Amino acid sequence: MDVLNELMMGFAEAMTWQNLLFAFVGCLLGTVIGVLPGIGPVAGIALLIPLTLNLDPAGSIIMLCAIFYGTTYGGTITSVLLNTPGEAASAITAIDGYQMTKVGRAGVALTIAAVGSFIGGTIATVGLVLAAKPLGSLGLLIGPPEFFALVVVGISLLVALAGRSMVRALISGALGLLISMIGIDPVMGAPRFTFGMDRLLDGVSFVAVIVGIFGLSEILSYRPGKNQTVTQTPGLRALLPTRTDWKRSTPAFARGTGIGFAMGLIPGMTGSVSSLLSYGAEKKFSKYRNELGRGAIEGVAGPETANNAHANGALIPLFTLGIPASPTIAVLMGAFLQQGLTPGPTLFAEHSTLAWTIIASLFIGNVLLLVLNVPLVGLWTSILKVPYPILAGLILMFMVVGAYTINFSVFDVFVMIIFGLVGLGLRRLDIPLAPMVLTLVLGPLMERSLRESLDISHGSFSIFFDRPITMVLLLIALVIVCSPLLKLRKPAALVAEDPES
Amino acid sequence: MSNDATGSSVPSGRWPLLIGQAVIALIGLYALLGSLKLGLGSALGPGAGFFPAVLGIFLMVLAVLWFLQGRATPTEQTEAESFDGAQVGAVILSLVILAAALPFLGFQLSVFAFLMYHLGFRARIGWVKAVVISLCGSVGVFYLFTTVLHVSLPVATLLPLSMIGI
Repeated sequence: MDVLNELMMGFAEAMTWQNLLFAFVGCLLGTVIGVLPGIGPVAGIALLIPLTLNLDPAGSIIMLCAIFYGTTYGGTITSVLLNTPGEAASAITAIDGYQMTKVGRAGVALTIAAVGSFIGGTIATVGLVLAAKPLGSLGLLIGPPEFFALVVVGISLLVALAGRSMVRALISGALGLLISMIGIDPVMGAPRFTFGMDRLLDGVSFVAVIVGIFGLSEILSYRPGKNQTVTQTPGLRALLPTRTDWKRSTPAFARGTGIGFAMGLIPGMTGSVSSLLSYGAEKKFSKYRNELGRGAIEGVAGPETANNAHANGALIPLFTLGIPASPTIAVLMGAFLQQGLTPGPTLFAEHSTLAWTIIASLFIGNVLLLVLNVPLVGLWTSILKVPYPILAGLILMFMVVGAYTINFSVFDVFVMIIFGLVGLGLRRLDIPLAPMVLTLVLGPLMERSLRESLDISHGSFSIFFDRPITMVLLLIALVIVCSPLLKLRKPAALVAEDPES
Repeated sequence: MSNDATGSSVPSGRWPLLIGQAVIALIGLYALLGSLKLGLGSALGPGAGFFPAVLGIFLMVLAVLWFLQGRATPTEQTEAESFDGAQVGAVILSLVILAAALPFLGFQLSVFAFLMYHLGFRARIGWVKAVVISLCGSVGVFYLFTTVLHVSLPVATLLPLSMIGI
């Protein structure tokens, strides 16, 4: 009953006109980012963080969360209409979605995708409501050694699942940690790796680094197709699915929700893994599995439900334990930290109203996206008609604005340019970028918890072996890191299909 | 492939990989040496250099492991991305010039020139279209941010530009 009361309070706060406006604008921007080629959700959210710095914490996080799940809706539109996924999680939807477009059923595919996304997102948010209190109170029992071990588990999972080579994924993670060490040491106050520059005493701006590594390097390495694709905008009448479509989609909605929600809870699993597994489930269990690949509605309903259930489910580890489950969530966590909020169990203890306002806004955002996306499909397709060079020029300009407005300093623009080149180099060397984002955000928290633990034990590492929870968590991390030997790696097909990693 | 008659044992395609491995090892070495100067800690607990020192050693070990992996499986297929050097050079150079010009010429003029270069010269979308989009992207965005969103963007500091409020 307490939970319900707090949720209702959250709704009351979330439904002020300002917060509704932030959610609305966030949904629109998220959809645009999902639709646009050459900019993914990680860079997109990082780019928009500076715009939200002047807002109050609730408005800022509501807007960024709306952008986050808006990207998963937006990515579907290009998958279905153009056979070109706007973001990784919608890649699998292109198989059947585009086949449906070819036979004039694009509108039905988009409506089913939007409804599936709504169902998956809403049920996963209900899961967040139910899990928030019990997991949050469990989290309060966690001290610095346990937190350190928990972060190690999260990072090792992401590293193990990030790419084809664990060595390269570890390099990416270690580089992220090193970058996060630049600036004044949080305990002793000594400047580290500042190259004598005063500007680096506060560290490098997390937003500038992410925009450079993910956004600028993507623009630098992007090669648009030579053939301009013609997009057909489905009319309103063509958007309505038939009774058979609904009947066939229902089991796929259910399977997609289950798979996406469960995968969202596991650090390292990105939305594209959920949608791929959901497609696999449809191939195995659907009555119409023989039609998959030739325009079957289940091939759209399942993966789209799964990736939105994943997006909302992945917020559970962030809200309850303070552990980001994917690079995009890590960027979102960075936004929390920029607003002076630490996600995790203390969020519910110290900023209860704010936490429930954000959760309530997730329900509102899902409704907004359902209402907005399908009728506005014409607007989204018109964005796709803008030639890529114009989009690239404008995206570069917004990157400069985003980097500049963090500290109102040109220095951050140069940081973004340098990290754009670093990102390009990492892509050239096939080093995955995802572990770097996670460690970049978690680095300071990880170091602080390690050093606090060692301060408690007067420098003795035995503190990590004396406490049962810490011991178990570190053992789990060890098993994960040894997973290549135990053959627990992500299947090669999933790795290849997961550009986010 | 360049396993040529001169006896070089390194295929030409592997050079970027070897350079990358060397750079990672050097970053690790730099972190380790920098950390030693900061101090690793005392009997009471770890110092400012402890964590970076561990990371530095870790990076060097990983670079060596990566090198050994490459030698063990020289035909390993990677998904490394290739890119267009001319495009990279043009984008980076224009961004550097833009960043350097912002404090002097202000946002509106420098972004206008930046967009004109990318849209008019590089993309060749037509001058009228390029001018209109560049004006919207420079003057339009400046007023959107400063007037509507209350986020300040740089203005010109050079005379006479600063006198007309650009």
